[in-house]
Amino acid sequence: MSDSSLGTPSPEQVKAQIGRRFPGGTFTVEPWRAWLVADVVLDEPGDEVAHPLFVWLAATGATGLTWDDLFGWFGARASDGPMFGEHETTVHRPLKVGGVYQVSGEITSAERKVGRSAGPFDVVGYQLELYDEADGAHVATCWNSIVFPRRS
Amino acid sequence: MDVVVGAELPEWHVASVSAEKMKTTAALLADPNPIHFDAEAVRALGMGDRPVNQGPLNMGYVMNMLAAWSGGHDRLRRLRVRFLGNVFAGDQLRAGGVVTAVREENGDRLADCEVFLAVVGGEPVLKGTATVALAPATEETR
Repeated sequence: MSDSSLGTPSPEQVKAQIGRRFPGGTFTVEPWRAWLVADVVLDEPGDEVAHPLFVWLAATGATGLTWDDLFGWFGARASDGPMFGEHETTVHRPLKVGGVYQVSGEITSAERKVGRSAGPFDVVGYQLELYDEADGAHVATCWNSIVFPRRS
Repeated sequence: MDVVVGAELPEWHVASVSAEKMKTTAALLADPNPIHFDAEAVRALGMGDRPVNQGPLNMGYVMNMLAAWSGGHDRLRRLRVRFLGNVFAGDQLRAGGVVTAVREENGDRLADCEVFLAVVGGEPVLKGTATVALAPATEETR
């Protein structure tokens, strides 16, 4: 799955990843996981509504790729220091404790930029959709951007 | 719920960011990055000597602030955030925001807000925008 053997890709190779789809998968909001997530985020565990952080957790947890696989699509590894850029959670219906969600999505943007002090870097956007396995309803969208430093 | 543009959201505080919760989070996320659980790794990278909090946890604190104000996590419709800086173990944090619009959409009364998370006495580490559903105004006036 990893393309990291390519090394630093050209701007054209980076752009060519737009539209590449994730294998996808399924994520279950297990009650034990809901309890632990509430605990680490300093919230009260609930019996029904899952913490909205689960939109990100479920989406990124069921892309069908490891983080290194995803970085590899852009010729990078975790040790290259990719950074979390921006995130957007959109909730159409709150996730439930015990719910099972299907995840699908794709790379939506990829662009080479050059910062005055940071030098060249790539900004990659990807969007994931969550569907409730029980009734097929589209319950949430998770959009993220990753910044890949490109040291020359 | 009587909400007007310009109203400040009640602040939500973290007394001291826990390094132990970062370890649990690393396991929950299957995140192998040692800056979240190994102070030696943080030192080796020249980032100080305290583990770095996971970005999703910082985002989660803002979600908690919005839930405490709006009446529950089921009120959140949208949250967009930009990560501006690191939070370290032991940091004291405050999350807050301000209402920028109140509107109706598909029968729901919504509040758009600007939100932030900041180290107490320091700069914001996260900024963004959010939309939450408000309880119908009639609920409290009946």
